[in-house]
Amino acid sequence: MKRRPRLRPTPWDGVTAALILALAVGCGALFRGGAPEGGTAVVSIAGEEVDRFSLADAGEREYTANGYHLHVTVTDGSVRVTEADCPTQDCVHTGAITRSGQSIVCLPGRFILRLEGGSSDNTGVDAVLG
Amino acid sequence: MKRVILYVLYISLLAGCGAPAAGSGEEPETVQLIAMDTVMTFAAYGDRAAEAVVQAAEEMERMERILSRTLPNSEVARLNAVGSAHTGPEVQRLAEASSHYREATGGAFDITVAPVVSAWGFTTDSFQVPSDAELAKLLPLVDGSAVRVDESGTVTLGPGQSIDLGGIAKGYASDLTAALYASAGIERGKAELGGNVLAWGTRPDGKPWRVGIKDPARPDDGNAFAGIVELEDSVAITSGGYQRFFEENGTRYHHIIDPSTGYPAESGLTSVTVVAKADGSGTRLNGAMCDAYSTALFIMGEDRALDFWRTHQARTDYEDAFDLVLVTEDGRVVVTAGLSDRFEPSEDSGYVYETAS
Repeated sequence: MKRRPRLRPTPWDGVTAALILALAVGCGALFRGGAPEGGTAVVSIAGEEVDRFSLADAGEREYTANGYHLHVTVTDGSVRVTEADCPTQDCVHTGAITRSGQSIVCLPGRFILRLEGGSSDNTGVDAVLG
Repeated sequence: MKRVILYVLYISLLAGCGAPAAGSGEEPETVQLIAMDTVMTFAAYGDRAAEAVVQAAEEMERMERILSRTLPNSEVARLNAVGSAHTGPEVQRLAEASSHYREATGGAFDITVAPVVSAWGFTTDSFQVPSDAELAKLLPLVDGSAVRVDESGTVTLGPGQSIDLGGIAKGYASDLTAALYASAGIERGKAELGGNVLAWGTRPDGKPWRVGIKDPARPDDGNAFAGIVELEDSVAITSGGYQRFFEENGTRYHHIIDPSTGYPAESGLTSVTVVAKADGSGTRLNGAMCDAYSTALFIMGEDRALDFWRTHQARTDYEDAFDLVLVTEDGRVVVTAGLSDRFEPSEDSGYVYETAS
């Protein structure tokens, strides 16, 4: 029996290597982006996205929205508006949010902070009335 | 060549690592925006979902420009300023529907309560308790029977009157959304329009949408519900005094003003939810109806609300039918019979549950 392994690389090997590398990078990005606990907060003011950060980034953030100032605190995978000078204070009363799909809204400031990715809402409801 | 096919297979398998967790199913297209003084979220599934939710969002911005009382160039602001104006089809339709709901509820729903609501500061967020003298001056202006819509499309108010469509506009918005979803061929989706919900079709798993009714006693706890209703092709709207209020000298004043007294309604109810069939054909305004009735029945109180439900059920066809969930100050949740098999009590809420028939 004559064994003659063909070890010379062919163009297909190059293509495969490139594809696998691309997939590896892609998968890595996906896993990092969708951090299971943290999720991502997306902040929009008057319909424009102005900020996007991971809930893993604990700290304080400041926004100016339609003339109002909002102070946002990120801790332990949750985010809340800790202080605002808007008249309604609904954003402050909302308290901390932690799960994908939840949002904090300041109507006078036209400010929306919405969570994406991460673990989704597990309250067992699809929508809320009231 | 065989080797190429194997590579492709291998790569397809690898690609699976990035797919969503099993069971989460298809993801909806979602748009969230602030319009009509509230936050709105549209979600839809299917091929034309992205187009449908963007159209819905644009339609809401258009409606705001027409129906807002505070945007100086809106049709409603113009009408209020001059007392009589030719308006577009939306304002005409809502003015006509409003007069129907006013008659049906014995005046508990009345769009001409606008000047009184303004006197309380709910239009501008500069809250204040108006003096008795001021209310006595404003109350005679509250009379929806003076509003006329003629055949040419001109809406005319009584002398000194102004209207606010805020008690019906968000319900109308859910009617418009249903019509948009229907014309885009959307089979499932939902819309949350400032605490009112359009449940279009079913969830992707074929089950009804589970919609929580916020517990009026714990409004700041997003996980606290007075109960959960299972909805399919339905619109539902909740009115409650906890949604908007201010406090002065230790007294709480909420935004649901009784047109007969000029004061926030004190009827023993903390919230009223009205549920009806969603209509995508654009002919019925069931969302607007739910919106108007949730306000009116909150003002009317439990007994009159249930009587209203009974007489309404007895004399109208199925398309107009609606059901109610009433939450009372004394810790009860009253669910009308048509909804009882689609209603799930919240175990830890402490409420006593009753079915009305």
